[in-house]
Amino acid sequence: MKRSASNSVTNGDASNKKMKKTTEEDSEIGFANLDENLLYEVLKHVDARTLATSSCVSKIWHRTAQDERLWELICTRHWANIGCSPHQLRFVVLALGGFKQLHSLYLWPLSSPNQHGRLGKDELKLSLSLLSIRYYEKMNFTKRLP
Amino acid sequence: MKRSHQETSVEEVHSMGKKLEDDNNMDEFLSALGYKVRSSDMADVAQKLEQLEVVLSNDDVLGSNALNDTVHYNPSDLSSWAETMLSELNYYPPSLDLDPTRICNLTPFSDDNECSSTTSDNSSKRIRLGPWCDSSESTRPVVMLGVDSQETGVRLVQALVACAEAVHQENLILADALVKRVGPLAASQAGAMGKVATYFAEALARRIYRIRPSSPAVDPSFEEILQMHFYESCPYLKFAHFTANQAILEAVATARGVHVIDLGINQGMQWPALMQALALRPGGSPSFRLTGVGGPSEGDGIQQLGWKLAQLAQAIGVEFEFKGLTVERLTDLEPEMFETRPESETLVVNSVFELHPLLARPGSIEKLLATVKAVKPSVVTVVEQEANHNGVVFLERFNEALHYYSSLFDSLEDGVIIPSQDRVMSEVYLGRQILNVVAAEGTDRIERHETLDQWRKRLGSAGFDPVSLGSDAFKQASLLLALSGGGDGYRVEENDGSLMLAWQTKPLIAASAWKVSDVTAEWRR
Repeated sequence: MKRSASNSVTNGDASNKKMKKTTEEDSEIGFANLDENLLYEVLKHVDARTLATSSCVSKIWHRTAQDERLWELICTRHWANIGCSPHQLRFVVLALGGFKQLHSLYLWPLSSPNQHGRLGKDELKLSLSLLSIRYYEKMNFTKRLP
Repeated sequence: MKRSHQETSVEEVHSMGKKLEDDNNMDEFLSALGYKVRSSDMADVAQKLEQLEVVLSNDDVLGSNALNDTVHYNPSDLSSWAETMLSELNYYPPSLDLDPTRICNLTPFSDDNECSSTTSDNSSKRIRLGPWCDSSESTRPVVMLGVDSQETGVRLVQALVACAEAVHQENLILADALVKRVGPLAASQAGAMGKVATYFAEALARRIYRIRPSSPAVDPSFEEILQMHFYESCPYLKFAHFTANQAILEAVATARGVHVIDLGINQGMQWPALMQALALRPGGSPSFRLTGVGGPSEGDGIQQLGWKLAQLAQAIGVEFEFKGLTVERLTDLEPEMFETRPESETLVVNSVFELHPLLARPGSIEKLLATVKAVKPSVVTVVEQEANHNGVVFLERFNEALHYYSSLFDSLEDGVIIPSQDRVMSEVYLGRQILNVVAAEGTDRIERHETLDQWRKRLGSAGFDPVSLGSDAFKQASLLLALSGGGDGYRVEENDGSLMLAWQTKPLIAASAWKVSDVTAEWRR
């Protein structure tokens, strides 16, 4: 791969100081060192389990795999359309805790029994309801009347 | 030698037990050996030893189920007995035929070398109990004495019913004697049955001694805490809320503005989910106005609740308005208080477990229903306990309640999923209901549950027609139960357009929706 070749050239030529400076984009050939954007593009196509596992690989991977947009894709990909616009959905879900939480807390437990991962309208609505209740329960209410 | 002494004394128990049955002191013979057994218990003890002997004389001891379903005796009485017995047994070689050893340790003694050298301190006893607990298939970590618990369960119920009968016949002396017997029996029964029985025994005792629990006898914030734990630990309240919300959503599907009157706002747990569903409505969210009705004890709490809901509404982009109404009784509500805006809002009235207390005062329910009718709601959602705890005959009420709360407690027994604090609090919450159903009378008795059929008649005669809950509600409810653990015990049942939540085929909660009868249709009647 061109990329790895250029990396190894850098390795060969650079002094120790330079190597230290560029440690992050560095030298190690491998999948684990993909550029974040590229990684993001790849992760757009994986399933929930893979996405969750990817966040355990490294710090960069962790950061990328936590991206709400990726989890939004996971959540909405197989969903039946509940009728609202994606923008509406995004606004509400992000306010209530995000897609990642929605998935891990409610969608995942609801879908594991049936392995084909298809989530119907009812599972979705129930999960959203439970998410909102959880948000409400956790609200640290500070404003008090005099 | 102690050994032979022990053998003879155990044999003597059989005869001794019967002789000393009436003597209330500690049995002298056994106490000489360090066994503290009340003579009044001797008959039972003797019987159990006989049973144990019979069971253990069979070859398949370890596989025997009778030893797995065992009874934990009243700890105050028998733990000392068990302890002394254990310490005595340390001196006995494994070949002893008699069973006191087998009671405590089912694994063959030859494996367990610690036995002979154990001292009588507590830690060693636990070591001894440990292997026994593992070897038996029972999951209960208590000291087990081999008696079939099902049989004691039946006896327990019989004792309770007998006591209730005595109360019903106003034979208070007999009732008193019986209730004293039930107490220890209940304590000895492990599991849901024991807990239920304890509450019922207490309730009967209160009824006998005329200790009337005043309502509310307890700090209302405590009541709220109890209800929160109940909310968390089992799906009943969630089922109630979700099903009612589904009916509301269907009724306001095209409304530009929604006004919900909640007859019992409590913690407002029902509304976040509704607001979220409104926020995600195709075509945009309607404005949402909530009028929460609460009692005087809730006071300021209602306003704070309103603020909390307002914050949530703002976060998800729903136009929200809140008003709290504090009334002493629901009958104090008048239509003007709600400030309805019929031209811009679709009105909904919601009642979760709020109707049955009104049955304590004649005329109350009719007044409330008239008020509700007067504000012209599009839909009225009603959730109530599915039971008849309002019968005139005490004994019938008692039996119904026993059956009902046994099921409820049973469903809470799934300790794996429910955090134990939630469960304990839920049991207290339900226990207070039990006390009210059994021990209270007159206007104090507010837990006057009635069945869906009875409510149908009441609502029908008040001028309401049933609205069928759609299949969506059924599906949501089923999913909710799937998520709630309890295995396959929970079931959703459809009953003529209404939904019921059942535990092991016994319906416990019923949710229904109503609309005001069409005026012209009424004329035709």
